Amino acid sequence: MSAVATLTRPVRVGKIPHAGLLLVLVGIIVFASVRTDSFLNTNNLLNVARQVSVVAVIAAGLTLLMVAGGMDFSMGGNVAVTTAVAAQMLSHGYATWLTLVTAIGLSIAVGLVNGAVVTFTNVAPFVATLATATLLDGVALLVINGMSISIDEHLSGLGSGTTFGLPNLVFVAAAVLAVVAFVMRYTSFGRDAFAIGGNEDVARLSGITVSRDKLVLYGLAGALSGLAGIMLLSRLAASSPGTGGLQLQLTAVAAVVIGGTSLAGGKGTIGGTILGVLLLGVVANVLNLLQISSYYQQISVGAVLLIAAIANLLQSSRKR
Amino acid sequence: MTTAVTTAMTTVIRVDRITKSFGGAAALTDVSVDFFPGEVHALMGMNGAGKSTLVQILSGALNPDSGTLEVGGLVQNQLNPRQARKVGISTVPQRRELVMSLTVAENIMLGQLPTSGAMVRWHSVRETAQEALRALGITIDADAIAGDLTVAEQTMVEVAREVRRGGKVLILDEPTACLGPEAAQQIRDLVLRLRDSGVAILFISHHISEVLHLADRITVLRDGRVTWAGLATETDEKGLVRDMVGRDVVSRRPVRPARSNEVGLSVRGLCDGRFLDCFDIDVRRGEIVAVLGPAGDAQSRLFDLLSGRRRFDGGQVSVAGKKLKNGKITDSLASGLRCVTGDRRRLGLIPGLTIDENVMLAQDRLDKRRIHRWSLLTRRAKPLRERYRVVSLAENPPVEQLSGGNQQKVLLAKWLGTAPSAVLLEDPTNGVDVSAMAEIHSLVDRLAGEGVAVLLASSSAEEVMRLADRVVVVRDGRRIAEYQVDRITRDELIATTLGGAL
Repeated sequence: MSAVATLTRPVRVGKIPHAGLLLVLVGIIVFASVRTDSFLNTNNLLNVARQVSVVAVIAAGLTLLMVAGGMDFSMGGNVAVTTAVAAQMLSHGYATWLTLVTAIGLSIAVGLVNGAVVTFTNVAPFVATLATATLLDGVALLVINGMSISIDEHLSGLGSGTTFGLPNLVFVAAAVLAVVAFVMRYTSFGRDAFAIGGNEDVARLSGITVSRDKLVLYGLAGALSGLAGIMLLSRLAASSPGTGGLQLQLTAVAAVVIGGTSLAGGKGTIGGTILGVLLLGVVANVLNLLQISSYYQQISVGAVLLIAAIANLLQSSRKR
Repeated sequence: MTTAVTTAMTTVIRVDRITKSFGGAAALTDVSVDFFPGEVHALMGMNGAGKSTLVQILSGALNPDSGTLEVGGLVQNQLNPRQARKVGISTVPQRRELVMSLTVAENIMLGQLPTSGAMVRWHSVRETAQEALRALGITIDADAIAGDLTVAEQTMVEVAREVRRGGKVLILDEPTACLGPEAAQQIRDLVLRLRDSGVAILFISHHISEVLHLADRITVLRDGRVTWAGLATETDEKGLVRDMVGRDVVSRRPVRPARSNEVGLSVRGLCDGRFLDCFDIDVRRGEIVAVLGPAGDAQSRLFDLLSGRRRFDGGQVSVAGKKLKNGKITDSLASGLRCVTGDRRRLGLIPGLTIDENVMLAQDRLDKRRIHRWSLLTRRAKPLRERYRVVSLAENPPVEQLSGGNQQKVLLAKWLGTAPSAVLLEDPTNGVDVSAMAEIHSLVDRLAGEGVAVLLASSSAEEVMRLADRVVVVRDGRRIAEYQVDRITRDELIATTLGGAL
């Protein structure tokens, strides 16, 4: 009967995906522009763009992983370790290329360890990666010995350089988002992720190499954490205690979930994730500009999260 | 919002010219049905005929657009599920709604646990629940964990729960689907006991012979309209099918070409715990061999073992002479063996993906495609959708939006479209209506006609009689008899399965 109903239901024109989320975002931007002149200031916008680029790269990897029913809570910790190791190497005079290769290699290794634990031991992804997250945060502190390690001008081309007036970091993030979006929609690997997240048993019975795919997905999440770490280091020009870590991780998870990716797997889009990342980035910036006390900032971020999540859910339930 | 009106004393529910549409499409048009206490009233119709809409209206989940619903002589305009339960209408849905980790007693008393202060009086919980079961002649231990029960027992527990809550009208939505003959009989006996105690029962089933035996009164729906209503004694199988489908449905064994002598699928000494004890079977190419047993017996283990989902303890499986590696899904697929599960929800389809993606899921992986081209996908899925007659009104919706029969066809298309050399079919017409069943049967005929070795794992004697050339009857993991299907009658076959004459 529901099938009959869909036949004659008038086709809704201009059904914009994530309209609710988009509305919240536009609302906040309008509010910010009216309340403070500094929001639309070029320097401020470039700054926001640089900040969200790092989160976007992590969120992209997380979206793909969560679509496949996985979860990685250690990406923030991975970022912390990557920035720490890269900062130490650069400050000790290692070549930039060697530093990058080592840092990314390390982050992939961390991702693969996560993947191996989750795939071969059936420990819940949440538990396994929360454990590695704690472990990595500690390792990061050890590597920089609890101090701030400056890298001077080593990665400034990436961190503060611009091309056609846009920060280079934005181009990196855009490229990552585009590739992940392509993989999710137009490759069998990406569709396998949806299948695994939708029903792992069916995926395996259909000839999908579930274990291998999962390993690759966790490895990829690791690799993107490494890249995000390098981006973060280039922006801050230093690695300090608390760079990356759980705060960054939670922002990325929140962005992905706000963007409509299901925690249970099988559903999710990069478009939603981009909106989620932008929303969180803009809200944080606006609160700073309005010079709101950090206590109220946390409360406001929480409230926006709640509103956005509800707005997104309302729309998807109406679509059904 | 209730007003008293005068009505015949005897009806418990009176559905009067109810119409319900969804977004302009009529799901029910002018439907009138009366339900009487102490009567089994069967509701029949194909998937999508309007049965579930009517059930949802009766249980308060939906409200009709027009027409009236009278319960015990009172017009109920705005019924909601809680009120429906209060006036004594209870529903046992098709999918069991027990909390599987709790005991039978807790499930029966759910939401009404007797307490003193904040403490649960466990003794009383157990006593009351056991009494509720005993009153219905059900011999299930109230301390058992719900998840450990068989599907039939779970159904009985749900019925006991609803009756204890004071259900005067009990709606049973396909209570015997997926059950073996023995278990189905237990449910039918329970239904009759309930009827004799004065409960009005609305019984939904696709099994025509079952309905004719069990029901006192039958209402047939087609496209949201009542096409026939009357006493069960006034109609017969052929008439019911015509009323449901709108035409005669013929599902007869076709004459198939002589099968080759080549063995397509061979199982030797297969052992798996207490489920399979040195099981042997050979299926020649072009032959359909059925393994028939009570639900949950040997035949339901074949899927796990042959597909490579589970390692077997001993024995070997060969496809076209090539031995399969134990417990390797990829090896099973590479051999040309296709295993079609009877549990499409859990092991068959990916609900959130579209029809096309589900249909091509296995083939794309066999082809080792790397790039997923949507237009090409549609083009490649089209012939399969047509051949397996997957009907969807939207272009390419997620498969979760399809009716059960159509989902089953998607599942068959997914596996049988991959040029198999041998096939294991597990209850291929599970929960589909007569017309879809006939279509699926001809598809299986055609498959065998193309020289595929078909092993049918079934718990339905009717289906075995219709499809198979040869049948092996199993019980307690062992083969107890083997017949050529043309040398045995259906009743003899059922008797053997139930452990009667050998």
